[in-house]
Amino acid sequence: MKSRFTEGRNILTLVLLAAFVWSLTTIPWGEDLIHAGGGQAFVQFVTAALTPELSPTFLQRALLASWQTLAYATASMTLAIAIGFPLGVVASGVLARRAGARLTSIYGVRLILAFLRSIHELVWAWLFVVAFGLSPMAGILALAIPYGGILGRVYAEVLQDVPQAPLHALRVAGASEWKVFLYGRFPMALPDLLSYGFYRWECSIRSAAILSFVGIPGLGYLIQVSLIDLKYSQVWTLLAFMVAIIVLVESWSNLVRRRLAA
Amino acid sequence: MNRQAALSQSAALPKPRIGFGGISLILFMSLAAASWDFILSDKDSGFASFFRVETWAGAGAFLTRFLGVNGAEPPAYLRRERWADMVGPAYETLAMSLLAASMVGIGVLVTFMPAARNVAMGELSASHSFSSRILFFLIRSVYIFVRGVPELVWAMLIIFFLSPGILPGAVALGLHNFGIVGKLSAEVVENLDPRPARALRAAGASQLQMLAYAILPMALPGFLTYLLYRWEVIIRTTIVVGFVGAGGLGREFRLSMSWFQYTDVALLLAVYLFLVIFVDLCSAWMRKLAR
Repeated sequence: MKSRFTEGRNILTLVLLAAFVWSLTTIPWGEDLIHAGGGQAFVQFVTAALTPELSPTFLQRALLASWQTLAYATASMTLAIAIGFPLGVVASGVLARRAGARLTSIYGVRLILAFLRSIHELVWAWLFVVAFGLSPMAGILALAIPYGGILGRVYAEVLQDVPQAPLHALRVAGASEWKVFLYGRFPMALPDLLSYGFYRWECSIRSAAILSFVGIPGLGYLIQVSLIDLKYSQVWTLLAFMVAIIVLVESWSNLVRRRLAA
Repeated sequence: MNRQAALSQSAALPKPRIGFGGISLILFMSLAAASWDFILSDKDSGFASFFRVETWAGAGAFLTRFLGVNGAEPPAYLRRERWADMVGPAYETLAMSLLAASMVGIGVLVTFMPAARNVAMGELSASHSFSSRILFFLIRSVYIFVRGVPELVWAMLIIFFLSPGILPGAVALGLHNFGIVGKLSAEVVENLDPRPARALRAAGASQLQMLAYAILPMALPGFLTYLLYRWEVIIRTTIVVGFVGAGGLGREFRLSMSWFQYTDVALLLAVYLFLVIFVDLCSAWMRKLAR
């Protein structure tokens, strides 16, 4: 029998509390935590929410920037699927029948996938901009790499988790591992693959917006420019556009997931 | 009789059809085609440059300087004293991620129960008030807004008010993830088995007692799992909020990039990778404990 104090949950509570207390000690508590004038700027920023910039020319710019962000996100998602799906299939090890081949394909490819997704898309973007020059394509590639890594890992798990009985039936009927995949595993996993893909697409829009930090156009770029000009009213309009796209895509992807789960 | 049943069953099998998922897929693919068309019709898209020799020569030159091959001095990642310099920023980065995760944890613990539809609308107990309904919509709107804005944008805003350092980065990371973990945890409550709560309520427990003894214990493992998963995402993002003035590895990364000290960048990325792996392992261990 386990004693009360070594039970997993109790250890976890202690660890979490310790982590929290330690993190509090790392803040330099003091008066200079807030800028001189920071409080005033905060008030100005919050009151600007009541008067968002609504001039037609600005709205037009915001709309164009929203479309740019959406287009970059969507394009990089297609690349991410092109990277993640094949790697995911190999990493699931479902095509290899011999144990040795399966293990090397699983662990080898999982290591690659882990590396791809460990580095944040904006870090990739910065490296690519320096290496290839500043262009939307550099940003799209940078976004596709970590997203490909995440998709690959999740797709591998989804492909492994399908019910086994129908696959056995196919094997008994003499199907090769490829045919088992094509006619059994893939169609059964498709709803989950789709719904996770839609979820990631939603995330990619936020990521595409912050690519502006390295100079790629879009919503984030306009937000940055407006902030530098201290035009808080414009910032609020742009934030509203940002949230609106996210909410739209999120509701769509929620609907897809609910329908596919049913 | 049996054959009859089997026959009627086969007649009831659904016809293959293009469902909502299929339509969504087609819509997404048309959107993707439109996006690529938009991007490639821009002559500055950079697509063509990938087919030019100079681009790849430039990339090769960058890679050489990144890895520090045939440089004047040994690359930073092969010098012990440079690794020692990284301890401080790595410590700051880890602290920032923990601070952010703690903020998320506390914020969500306070707000997630009134943000669950079944709690707010009185599906678990007969009692519900107008104010609980208002609270539900209020918290859910806050969740949507804070998670709709990316961490880096939050950081750009917050740096206007707070002095540069760990705190603005942690607040920016905390805000965004608060919206995500809050929504997910509220959904955990919504998907719980309502019977224990109803039983307690029927036995005379107050609303608060019901939440504390029936809902919280069942929802806590789900909440912790999401929080720990998000911690893994937070550590990856700390470097990014560091770009705009929060401390840690991100600031060092930015400085080294702007001074063209690319072998320092390689060293920083190596440290960052170690941190990410370390946090992934910790989180996996703790998630096992939470179950």
